[in-house]
Amino acid sequence: MAHQVTSKDIPNNGEHLEKSKIAKLQLITGVIGGIGLIASIIYLFVGGGVEDPKTEAHESSVAHGSYAFSWLFAVFFVLTLALGGCFWTFLHNLSNSGWGTSVRRMMENLGFVFPFLIVFCIPFLFPQVQQYLWEWMTSYNAATAAHPDMDASKALMHSANAHDHLLAAKTFYLNPGFWILRFFFYFIGLGFFIFLVRKFSIAQDTDKKPGTKNLFAARKHSSWSMIIFAVTLTFLALDLVMALDYSWFSTMFGVYVFAGSALNSMAVLILTGILLQKAGYLNKVVTQEHYHIMGKLCFAFTVFWAYVSFSQYFLIWYANITEETRYFLLRNTENWNLVSLSLVFMHFALPFLVLLRSDVKKKPNFMIGLCCFILFMHAVDVYHMVIPERGPSVGLVVGHHPKLWIDGSFLGDVIALVTAISGFLFLYLRNLTSVALYPHRDPRILESANLHN
Amino acid sequence: MSTKVRRVYGYLAEFKNASQLYKAAEKVRDAGFKKWDCYSPYPVHGLDDAMGVKRSILPYFVFIGGLTGFITAITLAYTTQVGLYPTVVQGKPANIFTTAAFFPVMFELTILFSGFTVLFGLLALIGLPRWNHPIFASKQFARVTDDKFFIAIEARDAKFSAEGTKALLDEIGGDNIELVEDDSE
Repeated sequence: MAHQVTSKDIPNNGEHLEKSKIAKLQLITGVIGGIGLIASIIYLFVGGGVEDPKTEAHESSVAHGSYAFSWLFAVFFVLTLALGGCFWTFLHNLSNSGWGTSVRRMMENLGFVFPFLIVFCIPFLFPQVQQYLWEWMTSYNAATAAHPDMDASKALMHSANAHDHLLAAKTFYLNPGFWILRFFFYFIGLGFFIFLVRKFSIAQDTDKKPGTKNLFAARKHSSWSMIIFAVTLTFLALDLVMALDYSWFSTMFGVYVFAGSALNSMAVLILTGILLQKAGYLNKVVTQEHYHIMGKLCFAFTVFWAYVSFSQYFLIWYANITEETRYFLLRNTENWNLVSLSLVFMHFALPFLVLLRSDVKKKPNFMIGLCCFILFMHAVDVYHMVIPERGPSVGLVVGHHPKLWIDGSFLGDVIALVTAISGFLFLYLRNLTSVALYPHRDPRILESANLHN
Repeated sequence: MSTKVRRVYGYLAEFKNASQLYKAAEKVRDAGFKKWDCYSPYPVHGLDDAMGVKRSILPYFVFIGGLTGFITAITLAYTTQVGLYPTVVQGKPANIFTTAAFFPVMFELTILFSGFTVLFGLLALIGLPRWNHPIFASKQFARVTDDKFFIAIEARDAKFSAEGTKALLDEIGGDNIELVEDDSE
């Protein structure tokens, strides 16, 4: 049996990630993320023709609208990762777990990226971007402007476009004022709670009398934080992605996004742990056993993701209701069908079969590859949620020519994704360096370090 | 005492606590014995490693069992619903794209066959059910369900010897070393 870790092995002041070691990486990600963000915001606001989108289609407007979708795809991808970090933090505290005390700080750091991501969401607040993404806003504003004497629901019923009648029944939820309110609630609400729970954990590191006070406080506050998290993730997914097509509705969608989010943030945590260990950190407190458990959680959520996504597909396929099937009709048209099928085989079947074996979960080098693959497939998953709406939406707004695919739009997706991931990494690294890498004075750190499962 | 010739099952030695049992198990393992076992009133963490127990081959059986269930389900659903007697519901196609409707069957049969393989594979591998076990001939062994820990080394083991094994058990701290004879007829 391996050497028993005792309090002598844990440094008094904890392990800190040396800033000099990652300064270069932080600089690169910061520069790419920052320049990309500013350039994207400028492009999204002033580029392209926003003056009169109903006239003859012109290339710049199409590219402009296309990039709005790229931006949503990229930002939503990193949002799900950060949200998953919040989930694991709250779950770990709430379930009173001891196993993951040595990796809990990474969860907190990952979750704490979330409030800062509001910077990346700024473009969504402006009509220049909204007009392409969320057609319901255009319809709503047009109807209320045309009939100022009526309430929104009635005004939409008077609209010449029969599609708007569907929206009339949803105005209690889908109206711009409430949308803005929700938008800020997500970031401020969950942002505050992840900050609070992380603060208790950090306070423990320097507590003069390290007892269980902070630990219990974190556990207590994780309870309602978990509810805030569930509301935030579900409705953020609804507002940003499901509302791309306001006539579509699926009660499974929030759970679907959650499954992908929990799975992939766990992949990020495994990657972080392994890479930190390779750089010479965490070696006292994180062992194969932790990777085994985290691998098992990855496996569980791979299955859960498949279960939920199939439940969504299966019921819609069986019931065959027009408002519901349009999501899958669009995503099974022409080449999108290949993307849908690749999700079945690459997002579920392959990781499922590979993760079945227990020994691969304990092989760091193998897990690096597998986690990168899982994250790549998550990007494909988010792409599959957001981008198929692009051709029809942008085509409809610009010149009434709905198309399945906009030529040359893939470049924008890559640029947006690189920008968002760089920004995300910069924030994550910033969180990692700001505090000790693991809660070295937590009452259960030794239990976690000597984990055996 | 009867004069009947009895088959020797092996040596049984008692240990005071889990820690002694654990250390003794490591020594028996290092001495190279294969057919022996530890008995304890409760599970002892890490005893598998101390005994040098290899990973079970059961998972491979289960994988094959699950795969069999999966293939059975595809074959069953596909041949009946697409080949032999298509049931057309709501104008849904009866071809490879109907697979979505087969998923529940595929899932259920995979689980069912895996479950059966786990149960029956486990019973086969551990040799259950059986009427009796020779070790029950020992009177003191009854306390294994209460507060005592035991190691039994079987006479079938190639390294077993009447003197040497007893000496080994004595050396590693075993008490009440007993030669257990199979009393079943």
